[in-house]
Amino acid sequence: MSAAPSSSTPLARLATAQTALGGSAAANARRSAALERLLVLGLPTIRDEPWKYTNLRLLGSRDLAPAAARPVAADALAVLPPREGPTVVFVDGAFNAGLSSDRLPAGVLVTPLARVLAGEVPAALLPRLGATDAIDDRIRLLNASLLADGAVLGFSADCAADQAVHVVHLASGGGAYPRLVVSLSAGVNARLVEYHLTTTEADSVAAPVTDISLEAGARLEHYSVTLIGARAIQLEDVAVRVGADADYRHRHLALGGQLARLDLRVRLEGPGASTQLAGLLIAERSHQIDVRTRVDHAAPHTTSDQVYRGVANDRGRGSYDGKVVVHVGAAKSDSRQSSRNLILSAQATLDSRPQLEINTDDVKCSHGATTGALDEQMLFYLLARGLDRDTARALLTFAFAEDVISKFAIAPLRRFAEERVLGSLPAGALIRDFVA
Amino acid sequence: MSSNQKGDLILEIKDLAVDVQGRRILDGLNLEVRAGEVHAIMGPNGAGKSTLAQLLAGRSSYEVKRGTVRYLGEDLLALPPEERARRGLFLGFQYPVEIPGVNNVYLLKAALNVRRRQQGLPEVDAFDFLGLVRDKMRLMQMDDSFLSRGVNEGFSGGEKKRNEILQMTVLEPTLAVLDETDSGLDIDALKVVANGVNSLRRDDRAIVLVTHYQRLLDHIIPDRVHVLAAGKILKSGDRNLALELERRGYDWVRHEASAA
Repeated sequence: MSAAPSSSTPLARLATAQTALGGSAAANARRSAALERLLVLGLPTIRDEPWKYTNLRLLGSRDLAPAAARPVAADALAVLPPREGPTVVFVDGAFNAGLSSDRLPAGVLVTPLARVLAGEVPAALLPRLGATDAIDDRIRLLNASLLADGAVLGFSADCAADQAVHVVHLASGGGAYPRLVVSLSAGVNARLVEYHLTTTEADSVAAPVTDISLEAGARLEHYSVTLIGARAIQLEDVAVRVGADADYRHRHLALGGQLARLDLRVRLEGPGASTQLAGLLIAERSHQIDVRTRVDHAAPHTTSDQVYRGVANDRGRGSYDGKVVVHVGAAKSDSRQSSRNLILSAQATLDSRPQLEINTDDVKCSHGATTGALDEQMLFYLLARGLDRDTARALLTFAFAEDVISKFAIAPLRRFAEERVLGSLPAGALIRDFVA
Repeated sequence: MSSNQKGDLILEIKDLAVDVQGRRILDGLNLEVRAGEVHAIMGPNGAGKSTLAQLLAGRSSYEVKRGTVRYLGEDLLALPPEERARRGLFLGFQYPVEIPGVNNVYLLKAALNVRRRQQGLPEVDAFDFLGLVRDKMRLMQMDDSFLSRGVNEGFSGGEKKRNEILQMTVLEPTLAVLDETDSGLDIDALKVVANGVNSLRRDDRAIVLVTHYQRLLDHIIPDRVHVLAAGKILKSGDRNLALELERRGYDWVRHEASAA
């Protein structure tokens, strides 16, 4: 093998880390192959088009090895909103039975991935891991190199009203590489809520990967809430395949992190498949939050709708980089992209890049992007009603965020998100009564 | 509420000159408005009517080059917009902005409470407030859905104007400046809006209607009518002046003024 580039030095150390991971010979072989490939490719740099806005240089100084097992406080989940339905908890990427619910509703099957990797449960599941990984997808290769746990989640019956399966990722320091494999049987209606939290202010690196498939007519509401500390790096990668007449909705809230990135790819595979993606990122202090989406319209009569909002304050940075590709034969496709950014301080930056690639006729596509400060006319209107400047600014900022938060259909989760947004706004306390 | 007696000076503008983006819009404007009075300021498009209204409310992008504006004896131009509102100056916007996500009723409650705080009154609680707003909404013939919507969000032109007047009737200002409140209203909506305005007429308050057309003044009878053109008040009179303007247009006023 050729000499690895200098950026791979922390990667080179991963070979040692691999030997500490358990599992069957087959699982070990898969990890070795992934690392070998990753060493050849190296980590992405900003010269790689999809990584234009995300500089991974700071990974070079981090220890990427999976975290050693650490005890977690029993009340680690106390910060979360009330939850209807089971909760599955991973601590630094490893399944934690103590914090997880011990009962599952009928029609939901959760299999810890460690058991699959150990060859204890149907070996047939193993090949499905990484089935959607592209050969040069380096975050997925990183995850595959160190994959030791996660869950296989199968929905074969509808979630009851207001119920969801909750997956909580807690990072206490060090590396975490969990993987979720989620499948919905035909016609099933389900909700999945993922939380990414840090329990300490220690350095941490997480590369959680989620693979989702929806069979014909299935519907999934998928929430991803990232609330991580100032020393946390998170590179989340979600790939979704949507079958005929199936509907996938992703709702994203991201706050905090030295670097938090979401890569979300949705492939509309069957005729009539649809997706709605909505995300709010709030980058304060020196946080950086990047969102990259890619939606492939690979069948006729498919629709996609994206609504992304970014708020940056202090020296916060963020980006939305969204690409829609309408493939040959995907006639009557309908795609909308809206990206709006609000910059609250002179040192903050937000980038927005909606892109469209259309390879067929007879489609309806639109996209729009704006970046700016608060609207002066709106501000004057509120001042002219006697509101003070701080309150008026906070209200308008909150209203901006509501474009996305209002799409959170689970009421306790929506209130939780609103609380977090208020907490992150300058003068958010002033407007609590308005949103009560 | 207010200690003004009928006839007390509420607003006094002397020799006002204002530039907007380097262009002189108001130039030597004089105006006195007293408690208990309704004034109508009329004039051709581009005469500076809206500039005057917005300036009074505190729009910051206007440059005052000359003159004074006193409100209740104080230098109005020295006060930030929110302070003017709290002291009872209300601007009914010509183009009320839509603010999605900011609830109409919470805004109104917050606006009322900052005004009451200024007056040394206790804040109204949610229950009393809702009763008050429902009363006023009946007057303005607005249905309950207005309560839950965002500020002017998705409102038609007429609904926006009604919402402005609703806000005014709840806030009970000392001086209301209504900028083209009649524009874009059909005759039924015009009557409703006029009703709202008339319900506010009182000896201790003053109302300034800025309008292009006479028809609003069929429903709100003004005490004084002024013609604003070329940046100043060219002519003042009683309501008959408005009728004359309707008949003869504005040009004769300008000619008369330049001849004088």
